[in-house]
Amino acid sequence: MPTVDIDPDELRELTGNEETSDDDLIDDLFGLGLEFEGRTEDGEFELEFAPDRLDRLSVEGVARSLRYQYGDARGVHVPSPNAAEWTIEVDESAPDERPYVTGAVIRDVNLDEDALDSLIQLQEKLHATMGRKRAKGAIGIHDLTMLKGRDAVDDGTPSIKYVGVDPDGDRFVPLDSDAEMTPAQVLEDHQTGQTYADLVSGYDRYPAIYDDIGLFSFPPVINGRRTEVSTDSRDLFVEMTGTDQWTIDKMLNIVCYALSARGATIEDVTVEYADSEAANAASNGSRTQSGGRELVRPDLSTKTKTVAHDRIETILGIDLDPEEVLDLAERSGLEAEKTESDDGNLVYEVTVPPYRVDVLHPLDIIDDLGRAYGFNELEPTYPDVGTVGGRHERSRLERAVRTQLVGLGFEDLLNFHMINEEENYARLELSPDTDAYGAGEPATIKEPYSEDYTMLRTWVMPSLMTVLERNTHRSYPQHLSEIGFRAALDDSENTGVGESRHVGAVLASHDAGYEDAKARLQALARKFDVDLETPPTDHPAFISGRTAAVVIDGEAVGVIGEVHPTVLIEYDLEVPVAAFEFDLESLQ
Amino acid sequence: MQLPAQQVAVLEAASADDATSVDALAAATDLPPETVTGAVFELEDEELVAVTERVDETVSLTDEGREYATDGLPEVRLYEAALEAGAGDEPVQMGRVIGASGLEGPQVDIALSNYARKGYGSIDSGEITADPDAEPDADAEANALAELADADDAPVESIDVDTETLEELERRGLLERSESTVREVTLTDAAVTELMAGLETAETVGQVTPELLTSWAKQGFADHSSGQGPREDGEWEDVEFAEYNVEADAETVEGGNVHILRQMSERVKDVLVGMGFQEMDGPHADADFWINDCLFMPQDHPARTHWDRFALEQPTHIDELPEDLVERVERAHREGVGEDSEGYHSPWDEDFARALALRGHTTSLSTRYLSGTEIGEIEPPARFFSVEKAYRNDTLDATHLLEFYQIEGWVMAEDLSVRDLMGTFEEFYAQFGITDIQFKPHYNPYTEPSFELFGTHPTTGELIEIGNSGIFREEMLEPLGVECDVMAWGLALERLAMLTTGAEDIRDLHGTLADLEFLRNAEVTY
Repeated sequence: MPTVDIDPDELRELTGNEETSDDDLIDDLFGLGLEFEGRTEDGEFELEFAPDRLDRLSVEGVARSLRYQYGDARGVHVPSPNAAEWTIEVDESAPDERPYVTGAVIRDVNLDEDALDSLIQLQEKLHATMGRKRAKGAIGIHDLTMLKGRDAVDDGTPSIKYVGVDPDGDRFVPLDSDAEMTPAQVLEDHQTGQTYADLVSGYDRYPAIYDDIGLFSFPPVINGRRTEVSTDSRDLFVEMTGTDQWTIDKMLNIVCYALSARGATIEDVTVEYADSEAANAASNGSRTQSGGRELVRPDLSTKTKTVAHDRIETILGIDLDPEEVLDLAERSGLEAEKTESDDGNLVYEVTVPPYRVDVLHPLDIIDDLGRAYGFNELEPTYPDVGTVGGRHERSRLERAVRTQLVGLGFEDLLNFHMINEEENYARLELSPDTDAYGAGEPATIKEPYSEDYTMLRTWVMPSLMTVLERNTHRSYPQHLSEIGFRAALDDSENTGVGESRHVGAVLASHDAGYEDAKARLQALARKFDVDLETPPTDHPAFISGRTAAVVIDGEAVGVIGEVHPTVLIEYDLEVPVAAFEFDLESLQ
Repeated sequence: MQLPAQQVAVLEAASADDATSVDALAAATDLPPETVTGAVFELEDEELVAVTERVDETVSLTDEGREYATDGLPEVRLYEAALEAGAGDEPVQMGRVIGASGLEGPQVDIALSNYARKGYGSIDSGEITADPDAEPDADAEANALAELADADDAPVESIDVDTETLEELERRGLLERSESTVREVTLTDAAVTELMAGLETAETVGQVTPELLTSWAKQGFADHSSGQGPREDGEWEDVEFAEYNVEADAETVEGGNVHILRQMSERVKDVLVGMGFQEMDGPHADADFWINDCLFMPQDHPARTHWDRFALEQPTHIDELPEDLVERVERAHREGVGEDSEGYHSPWDEDFARALALRGHTTSLSTRYLSGTEIGEIEPPARFFSVEKAYRNDTLDATHLLEFYQIEGWVMAEDLSVRDLMGTFEEFYAQFGITDIQFKPHYNPYTEPSFELFGTHPTTGELIEIGNSGIFREEMLEPLGVECDVMAWGLALERLAMLTTGAEDIRDLHGTLADLEFLRNAEVTY
């Protein structure tokens, strides 16, 4: 799970509880679901977080949640932004693959080292989570004083412009570089460019942001050096681009809340879409102007969810007084209002603040109320409903066969289902396209963990032989068996994969022979009351003339024989091995 | 007095005046020495004989020693060849002398290294001289070899060779010493008395045999049919059973064993069946639709990227999905369910949902069962479980496997609460000795509320994560057609097994790295 680093001193300062000890803080944070993992080199807390409360990805957000937990804050707080001065124009040339933009201006921010570090961490964590590694949303933060607004908009207010450029169509100096580069060169030569090249390399036109001076940002890859933020920056321009308007708007809200907690003033930005299609998809609350659409951002509107009192009680399993529900809501940073549904039931209209990205359904509110109540305060009860238990037929059959095998002296094994082609076929002299038992075309894995695990095994023998190979230093006889899953391509299946279980057994000892294997196979057949025949056959893994097909109730379902010396040598074995393998189903 | 035959024979062969060795008694009684030794100890226990022990040291030649006793010591042969070649007068080229001596291979080195030591001459710059005054006939080592040539295991005192020479021969690997314990037996007065009074032989028997058990029948059919109980007249009446050393270790028997992880899985299944759960079964390679989409996992969720799961290269897609269900699931992802629900702001594509992968969790079985496609509509109340394999493209190390067994369980009923969930899990874990469960509020895309379960390790007392749980979201259940609550939990079987068996490396438990010794000796769980 992802982690976030928080300076405990800053946390104390921002919560206004300077006296809280580190240990108490750690306990309080656990209560929020932030688990203390250890300390960083600088003594910061390393906290593991679940990726729902993304508003807690920085010290400002964690402090806000703690203040609610301590009861120092209640209800919903929304900052009031100043009116927009700046505009982001979205040009028709902006890449279709990444059409959406949002932004805000932040004024009078006091960016000391800690605050700047926290802002950079928040940006990175948002990229990693909601931003889906910048694919869905990417954040650019700029020093506003370094921007020169264009006068392209009619009323003469300053603006920047989101456009699409040819990969080599313009040049700028990216962060961490001294040289002017084209966007294409950035992807080629710049370290950050190489990391994120896959995100845009398929585009015809690359995303770019211009001011009056020229190109200053190449989202989602890298910003220009000109507008780099430092501890001297007082006013910031925050812009975000992405593939979904809602996502980048929510990311923006989280950043605005964090900076607002540092005492900064938020100022609206007008986003003007030239392309009406993107704009239509983008927003609910926008207005038209000359064929395009305008949005005012950040969108700090709250939303409401209707939560039924009944449902709160059934989920938590307790009776609650309505006043208590209102109190729990306020302590969760929500605001609830009692009302009646159409059918006369008690419901709450719950207001959700704009930084919350995890509330998709009234259930999510009930979870908040439960956390505020304290889930561990609840008394466990055993649900008083009667049901009849039982095992699946296949699972019962497996158990019965295993019991017989163990009774016959076999060591029951449990091997991996994934294997590679060399192990599955070649080492046993088999090839996929033959009709020898155990062959068959493999179901293969697209991105294997290693070369050892590239497909599902088509039979069990390879696993058993490998265990023999790894245990030549252990005492003989070694009688091993496995009732194992195997799979091979099968067009008649909906998934295209035929899955079944094989009963596999190997007998390795200085005098192991065909008859030993046959005797045990006969015993199984007798116990499951099936008719066993073993007509001679050939199989590349076995010695010719000492190999038979396993025919159960008239159907060929397996193979039995003495393993060929070529195979024994391949597995470094110095004792003979007799073996059989057949379909578990045949004993059904 | 009645004694077993061997003991009687030993008493009769032994003497009250002279000590007789076990070997001598064996020769006299025509019994194997082991049998005589056994009889002697038993007689000693009866205080019929006195036993003295002494350790004899014997020497005998090794194969190499024997060879030199016949052919002569290599250095002596070298000396003789050197004299022959005239090295007594002036240095002679070494190669010629060696050729003439007939020495070969390692014997050449042996000859050279002892030649000068014993004063036969000198060797310098490839040339050899011989001292004409040297006396091979007086070579103590050669003489000792001759003396020992016929002696096999000769008592060291009986050999007329000085200690120093013996040690030298031993150092050269020509002689072996060995020690043996010699037991000598003298009759006690009690034995003499008993012998005077006369001893009877009692038969002792090594093993109960079919012959012994049917010996009564030899006495005649008539006796048997008369109903006189002739079975009581069998030969076993008169025999004595030889005693065993009942404390000795017996041979190691490797019976078959159920794999320890399988034992754990069987135990879990027993517990769950006992709690009213029914078992599920289904495909390992399945459409992402069943594995993730039905679980309300957004398609751009980080866990659904290709590097976290085992997507199949071949085959690539499932043939068919239930069309109406696909529609409902897509709608839930895009718009949510019910009036006040909003869904995800993530892309949704049916082709992506149809892609095949090895299931990353067995919750795909739950979605299949809940949807009604496996065993028809399931009516509440119901409890279902599986202990089946799941596949994760994670790091393979002492605590993580690419393939592991997941315990999956769910309860379907009207109005389930988190208290019911807590009570069910407390009951389950208590069966494995894990009590004091703590519930840490958690986040899963498919459950709300969600909890990570923590329990106290039964031996170390440590607080450890033992599972993940929650109440399935309505966005998941409604498309599946479930109209009541379902609570669910999951846990890796290997984790439970490591807790209860104390195994430290998960790879010992599972997979082809298996060490048979570990499996053969693993403690049974039940």
